[in-house]
Amino acid sequence: MKLVLNCAEVTRGDWRLSAQGIFAEGIHLVSGDVGSGKSTLALMMAGLLPAASGSVIREQVSLQMISFQFPEYHITGTTVNEECASWGLDPATILSSIGLVEKGNCDPFRLSRGELKRLHLACVLANQYDLLILDEPFSSLDVCEKQRICSCLSGRSRGITVMFTHEQTIFPRVKHIWEIHEGRLRYCGSPPDGLLNWHHAPLLIKNLIAAGKTPKNITTDDLMEAACVT
Amino acid sequence: MIHIENLRYRTLAIDSLSIGTGVTSVIGVNGSGKTTLLKLCAGIAVPDTGSILIDGTEPRQAYIGWVNEFPDRNFLFDTVSDEIASTLRFQHRPPGEIAGRTDEIRKQLGLGRLSARSVQELSGGEKVLVALAAAMIQNPRLLILDECDSHLDARCMQIINQIIRQSEIPFILRSTQDMETAAESDHLIFLENGRVRFSGTPETVFTGLNGTPFYPMSWKCRT
Repeated sequence: MKLVLNCAEVTRGDWRLSAQGIFAEGIHLVSGDVGSGKSTLALMMAGLLPAASGSVIREQVSLQMISFQFPEYHITGTTVNEECASWGLDPATILSSIGLVEKGNCDPFRLSRGELKRLHLACVLANQYDLLILDEPFSSLDVCEKQRICSCLSGRSRGITVMFTHEQTIFPRVKHIWEIHEGRLRYCGSPPDGLLNWHHAPLLIKNLIAAGKTPKNITTDDLMEAACVT
Repeated sequence: MIHIENLRYRTLAIDSLSIGTGVTSVIGVNGSGKTTLLKLCAGIAVPDTGSILIDGTEPRQAYIGWVNEFPDRNFLFDTVSDEIASTLRFQHRPPGEIAGRTDEIRKQLGLGRLSARSVQELSGGEKVLVALAAAMIQNPRLLILDECDSHLDARCMQIINQIIRQSEIPFILRSTQDMETAAESDHLIFLENGRVRFSGTPETVFTGLNGTPFYPMSWKCRT
């Protein structure tokens, strides 16, 4: 199972994004500045945006999902319960897992931004996909929820997970790190070596590396463990 | 000083809270009442009971700037220049004053090169800067930023933090889910179920939150 970007390009006026690489099973983190093309690449990888040139090839990917940055784009139910059911899920189970049992009869658009994102991600992560693309999964979430999502993601046993984010402190355990820099997707590598090659690495990770304490990976536990090395 | 007394609004209940000058961050889990508190301080909503006074003035009588998480959803005009000037135009200020002040704020925020651009063509960080310029152009007593860092990268946030730090706005109130940003504030308010659980300096508040995910990662990893 893999997704192959074969010189895939998107252009918009003077703006250009070029991507080449192979995404095998495991969690891939893609970082980049605002406006660098993270969401555009996510759409292209999901097949929702055609490449102007080159190709995007999905091998043995039969079930895929993209989670948009703005969860309201996914809403189809008029109540929170209906929204869960629209994903083929039991509302009681989903809502109890995210502490929203009392909001089952609410209009999803009456939830706070964070609650809506929590609901959406709970529905997404309740299913298994061969290819799961998450565009800024942490935006609008509080720190407790970010950590819970990281635990869920770290526990995904199969499939390709591609996470586009500018998050700086809370991450799942990742297998590969990529970044978009000057209109091009660039492979940094796998942690820990890939961290040394990661231009967009969060300041905290850069500081640990500068202190000679390169973390094994980028989870909270990994960063803490590295920081405590004497 | 911002004084909040006996405030009740929906799930928010604050008996007494004082907010000094400088940058104050409001933190808490989703649904804890952060945006509700900011909306009340902005005068967008009015408390059922109790009061909010900004240096003795009610929010709806004070100059207040507001930047929300999705600034483009509030944009009314097409070009950057018109959007920034709109705040003063709605106040029917003299054209000369509007032109001068628009020019000044564009320079202050480094937006000169974007003046003629459509706001819809801007990157997420640039949109926040335009909304910030429109909010700051009237020299507000209180500037409110409601999780506007949620969709920004670290570089954009650094620029915005520099701008608000260098401004002469007495009160800056923001909500954030980034504890590293919160740790750089002058004051912190931690809300839980609509109530103030901790309030004070970052050291005081984060001491109370030690052992929780709210405790800043950089503090945990101090080398």
